[in-house]
Amino acid sequence: MPTITIDNQRVTVPEGTNVLEAAKKLGIVIPHFCYHEALGAVGACRLCAMTFLEGSDKGPKLKGVHMSCMVTARDGMVVSTLDEESADLRRHVIEWLMMNHPHDCPVCDEGGECQLQDMTVAGGHGIRRYRGLKKTYVNQDLGPFISHEMNRCIQCYRCVRTYQDYCGGTDFGVLGCNQRIYFGRFRDGTLQSPFSGNIVDACPTGVFTDRTYRFRARPWDLEEAPSVCPHCSLGCAVIPGARYRELQRVRAGVNAKTNGFFICDQGRFGYGHANRPDRPRSPRLGEREVSWPEALGALRRELEIIIAEHGSQAVAFLGSSRASLESNAQLLELARFFGSENFALEIDPERDRAARTTAALLGECARSQEEVRRSDFVLLVGADPLNEGPMMALAVRQAVRAGGSAALIDPRPVELPFAATHLPLSPQNLPEVLKALAEERFERFSARERTVLAGISARIKEAKRPVLIGGGNLLGSSGAQLLIEAARAFSRGDRACGAALLLAGPNSFGSALLAAQSPGPDRLLAQMQEGRIRALLCLESDPFADHPEPGRARMALSRLKLLAALDYLPTETARRCDIFLPTTAPAESAGTYVNFEGRMLPFGSVFDPGVPIQITGGGDHPPRSFEAHTPGSLPRPAWAALAALRGDSLSLAHIRRNLQRSDARFAGLAELEEGGEGRRVNGAGQMPGHGPELPKHPSAEGALRLVVTECLFGSETIASFSPVLDPVRPAPVVRLHVEDGVRLGIHDGEKVRLRTELGDLAVEVRLCEAMAPGIVVLPRLRQGEWEIFVPGVHRDCILQKEGG
Amino acid sequence: MNVWRDIKGTVQPFWVTLRNMFRRPVTIQYPEEKRVPPPRYRARIILTRDPDGGERCVACYLCSAACPVDCISMQSAEAPDGRRYAAWFRINFSRCIYCGLCAEACPTWAIQMSPDYEFSKYATLDMVYEKEDLLVDHGGKDNEYNYYRHAGIGVVNPRGGNEDEAPPVDVRTNLP
Ligand code: SF4
Ligand code: SF4
Ligand code: SF4
Ligand code: SF4
Ligand code: FES
Repeated sequence: MPTITIDNQRVTVPEGTNVLEAAKKLGIVIPHFCYHEALGAVGACRLCAMTFLEGSDKGPKLKGVHMSCMVTARDGMVVSTLDEESADLRRHVIEWLMMNHPHDCPVCDEGGECQLQDMTVAGGHGIRRYRGLKKTYVNQDLGPFISHEMNRCIQCYRCVRTYQDYCGGTDFGVLGCNQRIYFGRFRDGTLQSPFSGNIVDACPTGVFTDRTYRFRARPWDLEEAPSVCPHCSLGCAVIPGARYRELQRVRAGVNAKTNGFFICDQGRFGYGHANRPDRPRSPRLGEREVSWPEALGALRRELEIIIAEHGSQAVAFLGSSRASLESNAQLLELARFFGSENFALEIDPERDRAARTTAALLGECARSQEEVRRSDFVLLVGADPLNEGPMMALAVRQAVRAGGSAALIDPRPVELPFAATHLPLSPQNLPEVLKALAEERFERFSARERTVLAGISARIKEAKRPVLIGGGNLLGSSGAQLLIEAARAFSRGDRACGAALLLAGPNSFGSALLAAQSPGPDRLLAQMQEGRIRALLCLESDPFADHPEPGRARMALSRLKLLAALDYLPTETARRCDIFLPTTAPAESAGTYVNFEGRMLPFGSVFDPGVPIQITGGGDHPPRSFEAHTPGSLPRPAWAALAALRGDSLSLAHIRRNLQRSDARFAGLAELEEGGEGRRVNGAGQMPGHGPELPKHPSAEGALRLVVTECLFGSETIASFSPVLDPVRPAPVVRLHVEDGVRLGIHDGEKVRLRTELGDLAVEVRLCEAMAPGIVVLPRLRQGEWEIFVPGVHRDCILQKEGG
Repeated sequence: MNVWRDIKGTVQPFWVTLRNMFRRPVTIQYPEEKRVPPPRYRARIILTRDPDGGERCVACYLCSAACPVDCISMQSAEAPDGRRYAAWFRINFSRCIYCGLCAEACPTWAIQMSPDYEFSKYATLDMVYEKEDLLVDHGGKDNEYNYYRHAGIGVVNPRGGNEDEAPPVDVRTNLP
């Protein structure tokens, strides 16, 4: 640990720290553009100059003015930041950077949060002395998410380092030479990376700005608060920004344990759900909009009548993985209050079991995104990180970039932003392969598969920090169990093998912890079908759309006497229920998510609910009438509404205290800071009962197995309600192995009929090489006919040529 | 010692009063008679136009940020030609203190103080001015400046066509 002296103050920093960071530790912030904690130093902007008075004791003697980001702190260095020579250089560098800079601040969306603006002001530069002409560039249309304004570039290379190096994008980079350096796409067109939004955060100037937020607001007018992304189970830190009752943008927050500095485009551009004109904002009895007291009174009365007639088990409660830990806990509290034991905290039976198995077994095997970034071998089994938890793909990429390696065992053609060995095995082989890996017995596999598996097993054994990552959707509960057992089997005294499971929703883990006594959604549905459950209260859950057997779910739901729902999205359940209570969207409410590794991540409320002024004013100025009430401000946090149903009014702090007092696993919850690193839960959940045996495959002659998979921008509930993402919704195509294509006489791009017991679908086929034969991969899309196909069930299908 | 000061202090005001008794009164018979304020007088705010007749305001939010009483609100938007403009722009004059900080902050000469001081209404809501009410069809104190002729985003002039700009570079060339 070297100790260096900066401006007469001594500081000791970890080995390898650069002098710029060391100064920051002392509170001395020197202007800089190109250095970024996650991207490292390249010495491109020439701004971080410091004067080195004494070189180090060891190594080369460094004297004079140097770029502090490029110098590693060594024992004995004496550095001055105040020295006239380096201060003068910094002043000049800023002036030079501004020589070609356009006169754009008033029309530049970066204004107000522009590092260049800040540094220019800090450097005291005001009047352009240089009289020559300014260099200009032609911009590119980079698609629906990113605006491009190349004239403002200062050549710090942060965008390329983010897009190419960190995120693995290949279509964007630096072009040109000499005075004509250009940062853009190699060919005109939309940015391809699902992490493209990060260049908006990384660029210190207004070259890349958020196009969905173009000319909407200034940062000083935004209401912002540290929050947690609600779009998948990873729990990345985000900072949503709202203005005039409208959620206008989301930028990445910083959490060293989860996302680091970046987020995916789903997390960034999935915000439109909060502003929808058709978002339900008033309590409703049937079609009639009523006040909160009336709705709460009516709901409670109805429930009490049903309980009086049919007993307390006739009312059931359905939570969800997108509702916060506190809301789900209040739902349980409510079930207890009515004396009902019928509750489930996830509608999809297999997802429910997978999450509960994970919560029960993961324990000390859990690995955070940060630990994945630092691992040296990652094995993905049945996991498609880009679609099931995008930032996990980047975490593995960082591991690979740092010298680690990765392998993938998956039936699907999985795209990854890093190099990995892919072994395509059919879905029913995944449990076997996990067992085989744990026991090191590969006889049952083909010769080629054996070689790959032996290689993988050897690499796991060699690795110092190996991690197995599984996908809850494809592995299911038994697969999750096998994955965690395999990780245990690979752990030795000197080093442990970690495991991670990508789950369905932001709070899957938290719901699973709470669901210990739940009979599970299957039992609930069966009892509804039998007519034993008469009333169902859904908390931010949509059983119409999310049950893997939609027909059965519909039938069961139609038998209910009372269907009540709390939600902030215009889901089918919200539309069709008898009593509706509007809740706040994630950015409007405070709460806690427990992410895939069991980390409790509290988030704060960013803004209060209300119909955006954009809507009340019809695009023009706000109405010229002044009222005491904000229109559309009725939504309440779900936990508050549920507590009110019991006649209780609890603050969030109170709920958290109660939760940690009654359940030691949530110890420390009440003290956690919003925007902090969070904290792993202290204890495990309980194993669920066993699911049904997987059907043998193929059950019918000539049948293929249908594998429904999550897909980015299309599957996730909240993002599917965000119009901002509409331009990038995935194409409805199914993928098929080339061999199967040849066998069935189906060509690439051909339109065929997909026949399943759920119904028929006209589909376009893509033939792929890198996938298991015997399966059809169908994306989970929430649009039209495709909606009935939900991940998690194993069913057969037949592909028939049109007219055949 | 202080006696002299006190005597002076007692007598001097009488002298001032006496002297002014023979001056012409400054009171004028408003509203029949009106005083013409100097051009830089700070009264009712206007939104001016550039010499080409376009709205000058680019909805940069600087005036609303500078306003100490928060009486300016607006929403910026993008026109099809890329121009940033105010979709709506509202000043609540019943709150405005005519400090002129907005005009000082404005980078485009759009918002200016006019000398129109005769400004009162019966209803508060009538003091809330929208963009239509604020817009005038001249350039106020400067009839020359057009911000978009200087900005790099190329709305009025083609890209690289401003006076101080070189034509766009050819990124693909290798020549020095
Ligand atoms: S990048 Fe910064 S300095 Fe340049 S125009 Fe935009 S806000 Fe102004
Ligand atoms: S575009 Fe932005 S991030 Fe990229 S080099 Fe230019 S200023 Fe830096
Ligand atoms: S990876 Fe998941 S949690 Fe992270 S930003 Fe993307 S959607 Fe949100
Ligand atoms: S400062 Fe000027 S250009 Fe900016 S919003 Fe106000 S009036 Fe418009
Ligand atoms: S931060 Fe050191 S040269 Fe840019």
